[in-house]
Amino acid sequence: MSKLVIGFAGMTHLGINSAAAAAGQGAETVCFDPDATVIGNLKSSKLSIVEPGLPELLEQSKARMAYTVEAGDLKRCSVVYISADVPTDDQGQSDLSGIRALIDTVSVGLALDAILVILCQVPPGFTRSLALPKERLYYQVETLIFGRAVERALYPERFIVGCAEPDQPLPQALQDFLSVFGCPILPMRYESAELAKISINCCLVASVTVANTLAELSERIGADWSEIAPALKLDKRIGPQAYLSPGLGLAGGNLERDLATVLRFAEATGSEVGLIESFVRNSRHRRDWVLRTLHTEVLATNPKAVIGVLGLSYKENTHSTKNSPSLALIAQLKPWHVRVYDPVVQAPVAAHPETIGCVTALEAAQGVDVLVIMTPWPAFRDLKADQLARAMTGRTIIDPYRVLDGKAVVAAGVDYFTLGAPPLRNVGSTCAFSSR
Amino acid sequence: MLNHLNERPINPARVVILGARGFIGRALAEALQRACITSLPVSSVDLDLATENAGDRLAAMLQPSDAIVLLSALTPDKGRGLQPFLANIRMAASLCHALEQVTPAHVVYFSSDSVYPMRGSVISEQACAEPEDLYGMMHLAREMMVRSATKAPVAILRTTLVYGAADTHNSYGPNRLRRMARKDGKVMVFGQGEETRDHILVDDVAALTVLSLRHRSAGTLNLATGQSISYAELAKKVAALFDKPIEIVGTARQTPISHRHFDITDLRKAFPSFVFTPLEEGLAKAHREMMEQG
Repeated sequence: MSKLVIGFAGMTHLGINSAAAAAGQGAETVCFDPDATVIGNLKSSKLSIVEPGLPELLEQSKARMAYTVEAGDLKRCSVVYISADVPTDDQGQSDLSGIRALIDTVSVGLALDAILVILCQVPPGFTRSLALPKERLYYQVETLIFGRAVERALYPERFIVGCAEPDQPLPQALQDFLSVFGCPILPMRYESAELAKISINCCLVASVTVANTLAELSERIGADWSEIAPALKLDKRIGPQAYLSPGLGLAGGNLERDLATVLRFAEATGSEVGLIESFVRNSRHRRDWVLRTLHTEVLATNPKAVIGVLGLSYKENTHSTKNSPSLALIAQLKPWHVRVYDPVVQAPVAAHPETIGCVTALEAAQGVDVLVIMTPWPAFRDLKADQLARAMTGRTIIDPYRVLDGKAVVAAGVDYFTLGAPPLRNVGSTCAFSSR
Repeated sequence: MLNHLNERPINPARVVILGARGFIGRALAEALQRACITSLPVSSVDLDLATENAGDRLAAMLQPSDAIVLLSALTPDKGRGLQPFLANIRMAASLCHALEQVTPAHVVYFSSDSVYPMRGSVISEQACAEPEDLYGMMHLAREMMVRSATKAPVAILRTTLVYGAADTHNSYGPNRLRRMARKDGKVMVFGQGEETRDHILVDDVAALTVLSLRHRSAGTLNLATGQSISYAELAKKVAALFDKPIEIVGTARQTPISHRHFDITDLRKAFPSFVFTPLEEGLAKAHREMMEQG
C-alpha cells in the first residue's frame, strides 16, 4: 500500500472526503483542483464544508496528503479519481460540461499506465462515451451522504466498479487500493455500475416515499408512524437501516438528479416509470407540509404572526442548502416577519429580504407566534421546551423531525405538530391528540 | 401554479365580465366595485356568446388594455348532455374569435374541478385532468381553446363547490340543504351523508379573482379551501342556523361514496396573505342573506 499514490481531481465535498479516507487508510494522495483558492484553503486547513470527523481525519493524515493546482502533479499517481461536482438545474438535469473539461485537463498528463476512475454522479452511458483507452478507464459508484461522508468513505459497504470488460481482472493498482478497505468489490459493465448508483437511490427514495405516504395517513387517523417504523425495521425483508423516517420531501439534489435521469431515459426508451413520477409528486407534496400546517394552524387566524425558523441547511451536519425545505419555506413567508437561526448557514436574505438572523436558537424564538424547526441539528435537541415557551409569544411549535419531546412541549403549554402523528394540543394542563 | 406578471398588485384598466348576471359574476362585479376597478358587465341578455357573429360583436367591445373574465356557461343543472356541451363550446369559440382580433392585457377563464376524476386522493394543480363527463370535458376543452387563442396571459381558475345566498343552481351542497331546511324543516342527504367535499364561499371566489386580476396572473389554480367536510357534518351546521329543529334524513344511496380533498399549497403560494372565510361564518352569512331576501 505504501507504494500506491492515489490522485483526486476536484476538491469537492466528495473529493476531499474520498482523499482523506484514502490517506486515512495509508495511501499517499495527491489532491488537485484548478481553483487556487480551494487549494490554498486546504493547505491552511480551512474547510468550506461541514462534515463531522473530517478536520480530525485531515489532521491525522496530513503527512500523506499533497495539495496542488497543477494537473501535472497527478503524473506520479497509479490511480486518479475524477471527483468533480456535477451541478444540476431546477429540473434535476446534470450539467456535464465541467466534468468533461476536468477529464480533458487531467487525462493528458497522466502516467502511461495510470488508471482513471470516474467517481461522480453521471448518467448511464457517460463513461463509455469518453474518448479514452477503455482498459485504463473505470467508473466507481460513490455513496456519499452529507453529514456522514467520512464514515461512508472510510468504511464502505462495497465498491461497485464499472468496467469496459467486467470479465477481466481489475488493474493491480486499483485492486490493491480498493482491497485496503476490506469490503466486497463488485465489477460490472460501465452502464450497470452507472445504473446501480441510480438504483440505490431509487430504492432509498421508495422507502422514504412509503414512510412519507403512511406518515401522512398516520397524522390523519390517529396513528403514530414513530411507533410503526421500528416494527418494520425488525422485518428482515425491510431491515434495520431502512430509510423509514418521514421527511419534507427530497432535498440535497442527488436523489432528485437520479429520478430526473430515470425519467429522461424512460422517455427516450419507452419504459414505464409511473412509480418514479409518484416519488417526485409525493416529494413535492410533503415538502410543503410545514407551509400548510402554518397556514392552517396559525396564519389563518393570525395574519400578522411572527415566525421563528430554526435550521436552514437541507439536513443536519452540513452547510449545504441545495433544495433546502427551510429556504423553500422562508421564500413563501414574505408577508410575515421571520426570525432565523442556523448553526452554520447565514440568514437567507435572497429568499426573504426581511428575515432577521439570530445568533442563538433561543434568540430566534424570542417573541414569535410560532416556532418551526426545519433542520434536525443535534444542538436543537438540547433546547428546553419550557425555555422556548417562555421566549415565545404564541403557542405553536412545528417540529417535523421530532427534535423536541412533544409531550414536554405540550406540558409547557404549547401545541405541537410533527410528521407522522396527529397534532398534540395543550388542553389545559393535559395533552391531547387531535385530528383537526 | 400561478405566476404573477405584476409582482405588486395593480388595478386593471377595465375588467370585462362575460356572464356577469350569474352567481359568481354578480359577486365578482361587486368585489371589483369595492376595489374601485372599472368593469364592463356583459350578460347573455346583452350578448349571447352561443349565437352567430357573437365573436365579432364581442371583439368590437374589447380594448387591448382590458382584462376579460369568462364565466358564461350552461351549468350542470341545465343538463350534462351533448347540447349544453356544444353550446358551451360555441360560447368559448366566440371568445376565441374575439381574442384573435383583440389581444387583451389579461384573460381569466373560470373552469371547474369537474376536470378532475372523482377517483384518487388529494387534488392539486399537478393532478391529472381526466374529466369523467361532458361537463368536465367541456371545461378542459375551453381551457385549451382560450389558451391557444391568445398571446395574452391566461389564468385558469378551477373552482370547487361554490356556495352563497344568491346561488341559483341548487346543486347538492350548502345552498340546497339550506333551502330544504327552510322550506321543509328537514334536510335530506344521500346515504348517511358520508361523502366529503370542499365548499368555498362565493365572496372568497370573487376576492381571489380580483387578486388574480390585480397580479395579472397566468397559469392554473384550484379555487378551494383545503378543508373538506362530510355532507352529514355540513347538514348539522346548516340545521344549527335555524331557530326551529331541523331533521336530517338519510336516503337510499344511488351511487358509491366518493370523497374530494384539495391540496391548496399553490393557492397559499400565489396569495399567501389571503384568509378564507371559515365555513361556519360563510354559512351564517348565506343564511342571513337568504332570510333577508325573504
